Amino acid sequence: MSRYSPPAFACRLFQTVLPVPYRGALLGDLIEEYNLRAEATSESAATRWFWGQACRSIPCIMGSSLRNGDWLISVSTAVGVYAVMGTLKLAADFMIAKLVAPEPTAYVVLAPIVFLAFTSIGGCAAARIRFGTAVFLALFVMITVAVEIIAKACTITVPWWYEFGFLTLGPLSVLLTPVAFGVLKPNSNVS
Amino acid sequence: MIVRREIEERTGRNISIGAIYATLERLEAKGYVSSSTGDPTPERGGRAKRIFRVEAAGNRALQVSEQTLHSMTADSKGRLETI
Repeated sequence: MSRYSPPAFACRLFQTVLPVPYRGALLGDLIEEYNLRAEATSESAATRWFWGQACRSIPCIMGSSLRNGDWLISVSTAVGVYAVMGTLKLAADFMIAKLVAPEPTAYVVLAPIVFLAFTSIGGCAAARIRFGTAVFLALFVMITVAVEIIAKACTITVPWWYEFGFLTLGPLSVLLTPVAFGVLKPNSNVS
Repeated sequence: MIVRREIEERTGRNISIGAIYATLERLEAKGYVSSSTGDPTPERGGRAKRIFRVEAAGNRALQVSEQTLHSMTADSKGRLETI
């Protein structure tokens, strides 16, 4: 057993994003070479190399997965999660607007909290059901927020950074919450 | 890992492991290579190795590619000298 351990966040990112056929073997290869590089050079250099490989490998694998047609199942799953998430979010928004915070100021404060809670839970559910689904869900969330901003769906006047926060933090919470909490499908390490 | 290192040593290019797997996956889908899973080892964080093997169709395709490349570059040295 090696005394070096690769960056945990990068490993979780791989496990969350990569499709099943690649995950175990690819991550195993990276960990093996990480240990060799850490012994030969330094742990920080090996960590930089690991992150570099992660950043360059994920787009390649995602592209390959798209060409294989795996994406159709992932998109369908993401649509399902998005529909459930959207319905619950609408219900929550209605409850907040009518019952909890009828005042615009209170709504402006509560809306991002509810939004981020739903996107985080949705991201975890998507990652739990099928790997790669969270990526499409993040894309759907980003498109929805962008459309709402363009269509000026929010009648309350808010600063630009408030809307920009929804646009960026929403998709990021979908992607990063399952990574941060290690929410993975059972048997995810089996390749 | 061996495939990646071999390419790196021969070409001097640092390529991503994801690109290798994506390419091998395409070659496997075409029947040029086949893969099997090895035993998990502690050095790999308990993950199994994927072992690829070149199939007969892959060897034939490789020969065709070599011949094509050879015929394309056969006269290149002489032509470059005349330019």
